[in-house]
Amino acid sequence: MPELELMDLSGVPCPANSARILLKLEMMDAGARLEVLLDDGEPADNVPAAVSEAGHKLVLRARAGKSWRMVFEKV
Amino acid sequence: MRGVQLEAFGNPSSVHGAGTAAARAVERARCLLALRLGAQPDEIFFTSGGTESNNLALLGTAPAPSSRRFRLAVSAVEHPSVLEPARRLERDGSALAVLGVDSDGIVRLDLLEKALRKGLDLVSVMHANNETGAVQPVEQIGALCRRHGALFHTDACQSFCKLPLDVNKIKADLVTFNAHKMHGPKGVGALYVRKGVSLSPLMTGGGQERGLRSGTLNTPGIAGFGAAAQLCTDKECAKAAALRDFFISSALSSIPGAALNGHPEKRLCGNINLRFSGVESKPLLLKLSARGIYVSSGSACSAGKTEPSHVLVAMGQDRRTALSALRFSLGRGTTKAQLVYALNELRRAVEEARKCRN
Repeated sequence: MPELELMDLSGVPCPANSARILLKLEMMDAGARLEVLLDDGEPADNVPAAVSEAGHKLVLRARAGKSWRMVFEKV
Repeated sequence: MRGVQLEAFGNPSSVHGAGTAAARAVERARCLLALRLGAQPDEIFFTSGGTESNNLALLGTAPAPSSRRFRLAVSAVEHPSVLEPARRLERDGSALAVLGVDSDGIVRLDLLEKALRKGLDLVSVMHANNETGAVQPVEQIGALCRRHGALFHTDACQSFCKLPLDVNKIKADLVTFNAHKMHGPKGVGALYVRKGVSLSPLMTGGGQERGLRSGTLNTPGIAGFGAAAQLCTDKECAKAAALRDFFISSALSSIPGAALNGHPEKRLCGNINLRFSGVESKPLLLKLSARGIYVSSGSACSAGKTEPSHVLVAMGQDRRTALSALRFSLGRGTTKAQLVYALNELRRAVEEARKCRN
């Protein structure tokens, strides 16, 4: 299993965080996965919806201390 | 830009789909610009232009007037958008040192080092001068500032995308840059703020740009800023430098009494600043304008009295000599044929001006 690239979006507000994830996914091949670190609260609530709205899949959502670790798959 | 204006019309701070589309345009530009500087996207803050970025860098770094005394140094050849906030801080109680330059307009490092030894909080020296194109030794300046514990700000509006600029290499803490000096739209700029450097905002409100610069972002302008940065190439700078050198050598050899202002090599690729003995630049500027050649005199007209350029005066020129400076700026579309035409018209205009005087 190839190591996932981690995008640390701690402190990046909405919707800049979603925008950066979508830009990164744009550059990846279909099926490739991206791991992101997000703040609790609005980012953890809004980002999965925004990325899913663009057609990509949320494959993992887990607590990481005070933050959230999520993995998205490019569709 | 047109596409963004039409298809990403949402507010880039809104979390709905239209807002996210606009935020994507903004973040794309932020990433592209960060890449150009060797910075992280989170270190780029959008503003309305170079003036705002320079004000934010200087005024935002200074503590409240009632707290400890702020000590800063700026070069004598800075743009007014650095000099004026520096003077404002001085009026409010800060200690300001204005660093002199040599006859080519290059900052004297001995003076900087002396000021740093006495103790400075912030040093602001531009990367390249807007009038003479003089390129400052920013790498040495950054190293000196770092060694003495001062923050280093550089105004890179003139040099951004024209000269190599890596914030880590030059050890800059704050860098001003804007769009319209490299064929981007007017009314948009940015400030690079090194992670960990604390700044106070000039404007408060909605808390955009992570609280540092409130106000709805100029999304089409920012998208254009990023796109313009993507279009700049080293090749076009090399082309402009060759045209610049052709124009300078032709003017100096064919126009009696012509001289170059600024360093012959340490200058921006598209900058030409000449003076013509015994001829004031204003009438030349008007004559050339009537012939479709748009140049700058490098002096400011204030209260009906023409003032010589503070940059040329700082380089040691007397008032009369400084008032004869004429600046030609070359762009992406400038051709050799245009320069040959400009040279012929310039020669004619100087001759006419001298005849009028006699």
